Amino acid sequence: MVRRLIIAAVIGLFTLFVAATVLMAYRWHAAHRPPEQPIAFSHRLHAGKLNLQCQFCHEYADKSPRAGVPAVSTCMSCHKAVATNSPEVQKLHEYWENEEPVPWNRVYSLRVRKYVVFAHKRHVKADLDCTDCHGEVRLMDRVRRVSSLNMGWCVTCHRSRSASTDCLTCHK
Amino acid sequence: MNRRDFMRIMGVTSGATFLSSCGLERPAEKLIPYLVPPEDGIVPGQAVYVKTTCMECPAHCGISAKVRESMPVKLEGLSAHPINEGGLCMRGQASLERLYHPERVKSPLLRDSEGNFKHITWDRAYDMILEALKASVQRPIGSPGGKPGRKNLYLSGRTTGTLSRLIDEFCKELDIERLPEFDFYSYAAIREAYRILFDKPEVPSYKIDRADFMLTIGADILETFVSPVSHAAQFSRAKRTGHFSWFHVEPHVTLTGLQADERFSIVPGSEAYLLAYLLKHCSARTDKFKQRMIDLMPEIGVEAAAEKSAISQAHLERIAQRLSHAKNPLVIAGGVATQQEGGLEIAFLAGLLQWQMGMAGRTIDFAGSTDYDAVGTFKDLLSLSERLEKDEVSVLFVSNTDPLSSCPESYKLRDNLRKAALTVGITDLLTETMQECNLILPLSHSLESWGDTSPNKKLMTLLQPAIEPLFDTKSEGDMMLGIMRRGVRESRAVIYQQYIFESWARDHGGAAVEAFLQNGFLEKRIGVRVLKSRPSLSTVESFLKRLHLPEPKSGPTLVISPSIRSYDGRSSVLPMLNEVPDPLTTISYGQWVSISEADARELELKDRDEVRINLDGWSVELPVKIQPGLRRSVMVVQQGSARWHLQVDERSGEAISRINGVSFEKTGRTVQIPILSGSTSQEGRGVIPRPGEVHHPREEGGRSIYPEPDYPEYRWAMAIDLDLCIGCAACAVACHIENNVPLVGKEEHLKGREMSWLRIEPYYEKQRILGKREHSHFLPMMCQQCDYAPCEPVCPVYATYHNPEGLNAQIYNRCVGTRYCSNNCPYKVRRFNWFDHDRPKPLDRMVNPDVSTRDRGVMEKCTFCVQRIRGAKDAAKDEGRKVRDGEVIPACAQSCPTQAIVFGNILDPNATVYKWAHSDRAYRTFDHLGTGPGVYYLSKGRTKHES
Repeated sequence: MVRRLIIAAVIGLFTLFVAATVLMAYRWHAAHRPPEQPIAFSHRLHAGKLNLQCQFCHEYADKSPRAGVPAVSTCMSCHKAVATNSPEVQKLHEYWENEEPVPWNRVYSLRVRKYVVFAHKRHVKADLDCTDCHGEVRLMDRVRRVSSLNMGWCVTCHRSRSASTDCLTCHK
Repeated sequence: MNRRDFMRIMGVTSGATFLSSCGLERPAEKLIPYLVPPEDGIVPGQAVYVKTTCMECPAHCGISAKVRESMPVKLEGLSAHPINEGGLCMRGQASLERLYHPERVKSPLLRDSEGNFKHITWDRAYDMILEALKASVQRPIGSPGGKPGRKNLYLSGRTTGTLSRLIDEFCKELDIERLPEFDFYSYAAIREAYRILFDKPEVPSYKIDRADFMLTIGADILETFVSPVSHAAQFSRAKRTGHFSWFHVEPHVTLTGLQADERFSIVPGSEAYLLAYLLKHCSARTDKFKQRMIDLMPEIGVEAAAEKSAISQAHLERIAQRLSHAKNPLVIAGGVATQQEGGLEIAFLAGLLQWQMGMAGRTIDFAGSTDYDAVGTFKDLLSLSERLEKDEVSVLFVSNTDPLSSCPESYKLRDNLRKAALTVGITDLLTETMQECNLILPLSHSLESWGDTSPNKKLMTLLQPAIEPLFDTKSEGDMMLGIMRRGVRESRAVIYQQYIFESWARDHGGAAVEAFLQNGFLEKRIGVRVLKSRPSLSTVESFLKRLHLPEPKSGPTLVISPSIRSYDGRSSVLPMLNEVPDPLTTISYGQWVSISEADARELELKDRDEVRINLDGWSVELPVKIQPGLRRSVMVVQQGSARWHLQVDERSGEAISRINGVSFEKTGRTVQIPILSGSTSQEGRGVIPRPGEVHHPREEGGRSIYPEPDYPEYRWAMAIDLDLCIGCAACAVACHIENNVPLVGKEEHLKGREMSWLRIEPYYEKQRILGKREHSHFLPMMCQQCDYAPCEPVCPVYATYHNPEGLNAQIYNRCVGTRYCSNNCPYKVRRFNWFDHDRPKPLDRMVNPDVSTRDRGVMEKCTFCVQRIRGAKDAAKDEGRKVRDGEVIPACAQSCPTQAIVFGNILDPNATVYKWAHSDRAYRTFDHLGTGPGVYYLSKGRTKHES
């Protein structure tokens, strides 16, 4: 009787362990998986094949702390005429006609944004290439995060380029 | 591996896995693009500044609203503005909270029969008003059988500029009678006196900067009187010349009085004797006319004046001597001096003295007089109440004013308001008056509307929107046009914006309008109007013949003084102005009565002991605060801090602020009120040295065991001139808003857990300095950004450290909240977050995105506005240069009405802060501790050759 109980407990705990490992793996994958976007916009097509420059759409990258996502009207300036039959472009048209902005999902989100300032402008003006942090976006259909964005990652680069490592440079 | 080990390892790993997998997945954050990109010049993530006007009090200072992501987050004084010259007072700073006030009226409201307000549509509201207006002709006056033909009335707060003209048009169109406007401080006695003297019922502009000697009697010119920020800016400029002195006479103690070079305490009600004495002794007798006038004056010798006023003969003679020797004297009588029985005589005598000494046209400007022409008095309020009682009124509009909060109860205005067929309230908040109205039209904030105002007759200032209306509200102009369009005719400006642009173009021409929109103000070309017309002798004669100088009454006197925090009480709805303490007493929340040290001794009262104040069967119980410098048997309460038994002067219609015949007694209870200052004494620690006694220990050697700090490029430093600081606490409020400093409330204040990064410390020392009997000091205290900061070495986690630019940095997400730093700080400027502080919606939008909002368990303090330093360095880096002097202006320095604070890089010998820090008057607090503060104070006692 006791023996049976022990066997049951062992099997139960083992199952739990396996389930937990699977769950953790799934969660880890989910957290690092490129987020689903409301429109399946392809950077590979636009930045890669069509060779559009990053700042054609992310126009504030060298002017402001924020790079900026393109306004719906910017998309529409081409897509009024281009690829209007594509179901994804039709989704865009729908947003435009309903006068709704496209609710894109953030790929790069700073977990400690509340305590940290980050200025795209300073980094672009320091001659960093967009790919240094964002990876080869032109090869990605759906953009995924390629850098950890944790403090060690920031500081390593700041050190190697002799940029300021004073805490107040980034911490607000 | 045995079974036990297997179980143990598996248990730990699976538990840990579960724990670590919790909360990994955060909800996906959204990235919302514009539909259409904003117009040129607007870059997301960067601030836009909108020039507009502060509407919190009638002074109408120019402001620049900082807008981030289409939300105004901070108001700053407009530097080129002719009124405030860049400064902005605490009320102006806090007025942003009115925009995001959680209790704002969000849509039109209708009161049902049970007295509850229900939301209705604008169209329904307009229709109701129009129907009621139409029906008023048929409505009988008085009893049901009375003659038909009720009147419609329009009562508003002080309104100027185009809006006032539109209201006139509206009233004419819809057959409404416009009543004199209501504003608690109507300066009725002053205007009446000038009417009698010069036939000009006006409040002139006072040109302090043109004066070399100023005598103020009762007027709190730096707090609420007419245009306080303008006065402070002029005072600062006058003082910097080194040829300016200022005597102040008052029955109580005000912040203004304590800034004067000499302050004389006078028996309440005896100001007329002082003025009569001065008239006899200082007037020019250049012509027969002036001589005649002097002869008509009652004979008041120095003995009589000294006896009545309790100012010693020597002092009276000194005042008279300084006044008569001044090249450009300025006398201002106002405030509590003219708001009393006999206030009209005081205003009259002061006006006569001003004319006799030729101040009009020189230091007193009638051409640029403050526009109070349409403002009525309490007499007008009484007549409104009587008309309502007689059932004469059909529709009553009450716009943007709150007479019920101060109206005497004998007027019965509250009951009579209900007799009107329809009362329409136009307001942003449901004030006492508005709660009695049937229909509420929600008013947009001035930051949500177009408009213009006229602070004085020479100036037009711009109101332009910095944000789309947050709620379903409209500006008053849009309401007028909306009602007219719905009721009368179609062909009219559709929106108020169109209406005012057309009217500006008509009145000033296109080029002027361009400049107006560019600058935020437009100065009208009116030359200085010298008062040529002498007062008519017969009027003066008849007035002087009837002049009866009131005998000052003995016994306890209650003085009701205006409040720097709440004006007449209107600003007390702003949460910030309850959190930031009154500079004189350092009391933050609650009401109190200030009593003199002599009375406190006699009645054995301590701070917070409760007293009962009795007057004619009416009584109020209040805790006591002992106010050094206050004269025996004078008690002071602040207007608006409670419902006072208001009396009105029959002749001028002015609210009386001196009440004789009160009695007061101890109740034996104590009331917990937060008094934030630990002590009013420096306890001999020399926080503020006596003039001429500044020591410089840093030059006397003495080395630290810590390594010398090395500053390669910048060492940020601040210098504060205590000679110019007026203790107005504008800086404290500016700091609160700029740095998202939370409001913690009364309970936390009582536990000594206030959060303000910058506080004003008042010190009252009983000492004789330079012939002054009492001396008070106001010291702005914030983190001193020490070279050898005692807080730094005690932090176990390196959350606070010294940065290469001299800043004592605090890294919030590194802080673990040991509070060692706070305990080791000799300046007591570090603040600990005991809780998370929620901001009630929509106040949560009033957050500066450049500054973190701190969480529970974290230490915080002044950062020298590091976000502004960062901003300036960013701009400098774009141009490949260093930050220039004057480019970084912290919020406190920016708001300072007297520009007493300078900030910059002290390594630069050309920087202003370097010059100030190397002045003979410069010292650092607790320098002997070896902390090496980065904040320099300049002690009082400016010398004449220093300017």
